Amino acid sequence: MCDDCDMAKRVLIVDDHEPFRTMARSLLEGAGYVISGEAADAAEALAAVVADAPDAVLLDVQLPDRDGFSVATALMAMGGPAVVLISSREAEDYGRRIGACGARGFIPKSRLSAAAFAALVE
Amino acid sequence: MTSSTVVASSHTRTALRDPVLVLPFVVAAGLGIGWLGSDAKVSGTRVAVDLALAWALVGASLLALGRARWRRSRFLLIASAFALLAADLRWARADSLWTLGFLLELLWLALLVHFVLTFPDGRARSNPARVVIAGTYAAALGGLVVGALVDPRPRDVLGVAASERLTGAVDRTEGILGIAIAVAVVLLVARRLPLLQGAARRAQAPLLAAAALTVPTTLLWLVSVTVTGEGSPTLETIARGVGLLVPLGLVAGVTWSRMGRSEASELVVELQTEGAASLGERLARALGDPTLELAYRLDDGRYVDATGQPVELPQHPSRAVTPLTARGEEVAALVHDPALLDEPAVVESVRATVGLVLENERLAAEVRSQLAEVRASRARIVAATDAERRRIERNLHDGAQQRLVTLSIALGLEASRAHGAKPDVLSRAQDEVEEAIAELRELARGIHPTLLREEGLEAAVEALARRTPLPVIVEGSIGDRLPDAVELAAYFLVSEALTNVVKHASASEATVRLAREAGTLRVIVTDDGVGGARLAADSGLAGLRDRLEALDAQLLVESKPRHGTSINAEIPCGS
Repeated sequence: MCDDCDMAKRVLIVDDHEPFRTMARSLLEGAGYVISGEAADAAEALAAVVADAPDAVLLDVQLPDRDGFSVATALMAMGGPAVVLISSREAEDYGRRIGACGARGFIPKSRLSAAAFAALVE
Repeated sequence: MTSSTVVASSHTRTALRDPVLVLPFVVAAGLGIGWLGSDAKVSGTRVAVDLALAWALVGASLLALGRARWRRSRFLLIASAFALLAADLRWARADSLWTLGFLLELLWLALLVHFVLTFPDGRARSNPARVVIAGTYAAALGGLVVGALVDPRPRDVLGVAASERLTGAVDRTEGILGIAIAVAVVLLVARRLPLLQGAARRAQAPLLAAAALTVPTTLLWLVSVTVTGEGSPTLETIARGVGLLVPLGLVAGVTWSRMGRSEASELVVELQTEGAASLGERLARALGDPTLELAYRLDDGRYVDATGQPVELPQHPSRAVTPLTARGEEVAALVHDPALLDEPAVVESVRATVGLVLENERLAAEVRSQLAEVRASRARIVAATDAERRRIERNLHDGAQQRLVTLSIALGLEASRAHGAKPDVLSRAQDEVEEAIAELRELARGIHPTLLREEGLEAAVEALARRTPLPVIVEGSIGDRLPDAVELAAYFLVSEALTNVVKHASASEATVRLAREAGTLRVIVTDDGVGGARLAADSGLAGLRDRLEALDAQLLVESKPRHGTSINAEIPCGS
């Protein structure tokens, strides 16, 4: 059935700032993504990935319990979803850590758009 | 009646304390024992050896142990001499005196063991020593009380349970205990000897060595006691004769320690000679105590060494503290081996001599101490500033920046949904917000660079170079991460230098060189611009001076007109 191949991608949003999660949800839903859940810290994020098996994770670098790089590395090791890192800092502020953690890519929050996200996960 | 008793007893104590008053008593006691010996037809050699040993012990104690700190040791030595003579009461005709002599036969040896193990201040230094001393008294007195109860000889007035067999067993037990004690004494002495140094070694080592030398003959005699029960009288005489080594060792030690110190006049010369050695070192040499330390007293009551580092005065009895005063006020304290106190004249001459030199050195130490404090406080201020900068950067990032980012996305969303209805206003608003975010990010980065914390100096300097609107070459490498304060100082230095290049140098390119050599981070920023830069008081580089000086860093600016500028910093980085 062709419905299966066209099935919308399911995305988990991980950020400790609730208003930002709401914005990101509107942005991605507007582009046809399905939001499988939201998480405010690394522990919630890892649990949500196990429970909901999303196709992609929009992951903030600075979380209250651990940093997003180690979460991305952990998800990689689980053979989990595609990870897109976001931060209100620039990629340059993190140097080589972005490339080394196994994420698909990095988007500064101020330039987050459905197109930028799609370019990394599709 | 009561009061006169008190007076009499205190009188006796004074007599015992005042060593010279003991002399007539010990001579009289000796002569009395000598008479008893000849009356009982005891061998002349034995009588002579006992008298010689008793008198030598008292004589040596008077000669060598004149200091207050040695009072206990002196008492033990004199008591041992009297106990030795008392043991010879067995030569008396009266049975009661014979029994008393029998009971006291070994007390002098126990007192002598006590003396040797606690010399020179009469205090045991370790628990094993305390156990051996207590065990020696118990064996010497307790053993003989039991011996007296079972001894079958008719002269023994205490022999209520006379038994040949028990007497033999008691004698052999005493012999074995004696052997164990002799071995323990040798072990304790052997353990202590190598630990002695300086004045203590000179004063104590000869006595300890002499004491150890008396052990083999004493052991032989004890073995004969164990085998025969009674013991060989010849061996006993020989052992007591060899015991003369103990007073000899004592006198030798005191003589040696007097020779080891400079005379007072030499001390004056030694201390007033200007030299490379510090006053403390010169005092240590002059007094022959390598462990001697000089602590200067500050006005607030703390003590510092010559370099200004704080010093705690020891409270332990193994170290003595002698205050040195000038014009009635304590200006310093000597921390030294207690053995030095045994020659108060020497310490007095130090007090008299060091006055002026000491005052100068104390002032120098005080200045160094204040300097060290100022430096420590400057380092703390810089560290506190860095922590505060980091906190502000994080607050900007987590607070205002986060909200602006959310706002920017919201505006973007609205603009895309508006479908023609005033999208201009929305997208202009979004542009403004993006500008604000970018400015805020630059501000935060200037306050505390995140990349420096995350990735270290090389990566942060490379990022600085990329952001500089002019070609900047970054050379060299520094390997491992450096302390935060060093990385921050180097980073701000490069940042400030590159800002100056862009603003003032009219350069076509700049080079940043980072190198780590022998505990130093070297940072060199050069450009090919117009030169003529200098470290003006209000320049940004001058503003980094506190930060650099807190790290003991050197900063050199070379800038000749038309020859570019070179800024060269050396920052100590520990490794």
